[in-house]
Amino acid sequence: MNNRYYILFTIVVICSSFGIIKYYELEYPDYFPQPAYNFKNNPLSEETIELGRVLFYDPILSRDNTISCASCHSPYNSFAHSDHDLSHGIDDQIGNRNAPALFNLAWQSTFMWDGAINNLDMQALAPISHPMEMDESIQNIVLKLQQKEIYPGLFKEAFGDTLITGEYVLKALSQFQLTLISANSKYDHISKGEDKFNEQESRGYDLFKRNCNSCHTEPLFSNYSFANNGLIVDTTLNDFGKYVITRQSKDSLLFKVPSLRNLKFTSPYMHDGRFKKLNEVLNHYISGIIKTETLDSLLGDPIELSSNDKADVLAFLLTLNDTDFVFNPKHQFRINKPVIPKE
Amino acid sequence: MKRILLLILLLSAVNTFAQNRELNLQFNVKLNNEILELNKQYFLNSVNDSIKIETLKFFVSEFKFLKDKTVVDSLSKKNHLINLENESSIYLTGKRSNNFIFNKIRFNIGIDSLTNVSGVFGGDLDPTNGMYWTWQSGYINFKMEGKSNACPTRNNFFQYHIGGYLTPYNTLRTVELDILNEEVAIINLDINTFLSDINLTETHSVMSPNEAATAIADIFPKVFTIADEQ
Repeated sequence: MNNRYYILFTIVVICSSFGIIKYYELEYPDYFPQPAYNFKNNPLSEETIELGRVLFYDPILSRDNTISCASCHSPYNSFAHSDHDLSHGIDDQIGNRNAPALFNLAWQSTFMWDGAINNLDMQALAPISHPMEMDESIQNIVLKLQQKEIYPGLFKEAFGDTLITGEYVLKALSQFQLTLISANSKYDHISKGEDKFNEQESRGYDLFKRNCNSCHTEPLFSNYSFANNGLIVDTTLNDFGKYVITRQSKDSLLFKVPSLRNLKFTSPYMHDGRFKKLNEVLNHYISGIIKTETLDSLLGDPIELSSNDKADVLAFLLTLNDTDFVFNPKHQFRINKPVIPKE
Repeated sequence: MKRILLLILLLSAVNTFAQNRELNLQFNVKLNNEILELNKQYFLNSVNDSIKIETLKFFVSEFKFLKDKTVVDSLSKKNHLINLENESSIYLTGKRSNNFIFNKIRFNIGIDSLTNVSGVFGGDLDPTNGMYWTWQSGYINFKMEGKSNACPTRNNFFQYHIGGYLTPYNTLRTVELDILNEEVAIINLDINTFLSDINLTETHSVMSPNEAATAIADIFPKVFTIADEQ
């Protein structure tokens, strides 16, 4: 009897090790906080991440198959969009917000400049459906993917099922985006004890901690909250940020605090891309703050920085650029390896 | 070995007994006391005009059985989408896990706030079912679209996409009904009652979480009744 149970147990173990998905663990430094994303609902696997990557670069997600996620979130711009103050979508239409950089998304629980989206899984639905971005529906994407040769095989590998669903598409896109972790800048090498700030960077770091760190909090360089940072309303856009979603006056002009990592790659800055240079951003905080009712309480008094101080802060900010992240081939369009479906 | 066989027999007997205890639930949508047919013209006395319903979908969630005020059992399927385009979706079968007695049923119209913030799900909650907003996160709890000459809109179209899970615009509503029959329960949704509280000329396009949406959600508990004819 014992023998039989043993054999049965062995068979179960062998069966489950075949065809079962290889789990994948995200790598991030120990000084990062716990991720906000709930991996239990969507356990990472190499196959699903790879599927998400193929989808991210495939313009099939747009109405006329011309715009992919990467059209506005280019890996070489830290997944932001260079040269465009406002995002540039389908039929050469121009949206009303700057495409934000994509990295360290696992540590964020609300998305978009106005917080309209409450979970990474659901984020992709917004640009997919927006008439000025991709102008497509998730229903039609599922139909198109089901008919495109490579996909049923890729979905089978990822989810064990050739039948494509909206759930699978969104989960795969989340998985790829969750792997976009930026944690290899000079700042990170210093945090790991492998490098040191020079004198100017060190002075800039002190100024940063005194003036910027409460919103652009280390080590992610954002607390990912929403704040009114005193920008004058652009009357060609009349964008009131979080208020547009909640319709509550306390949320007027609140926008999501972006991370300061990878600024070298993500110009122009702010929700409407109004500043091309970091110098303009610093000048805004020194002398450009517009006082309105919802202005963040920490910005009530202007930040005082001399021109030497500004140079020091900029030198520090340069240590947050993560070239390894931006040029990581694992995040790029899969060009060398042809996609061959496995049956 | 014999003992094991005996145990298996016993277990399967218990199992068969448990499976016999079923409750069949059915949602009938009614207009002018008839079962509603999509895309059919009806005459609506309250507006003295015609009406046609093209889409009707809603979520029924957290279905529970009560004895007076105590919950004695619940359906294992937490969220169920009723879509009149899919005939089988009006039926729900309750597998009763124990031999309980109940005299009330309770269910929600809509999806709870925790599910709303917990990412993507498949099945009835899959976003391809057209019951999830794209420009802002959140399930559409109740969707009704159609045409009535009472609507001063393009093609006389009206559309109610009722959703929202955050205060003050939370549109999840609970329905509680007394029930006697323990085998079959037919629950009616009366469109006449629903429309009697809506002025089609003024309120014809509600598609965001706002005051108009919560006002429509407030009608939900009134429109469901247990059918007399069961």
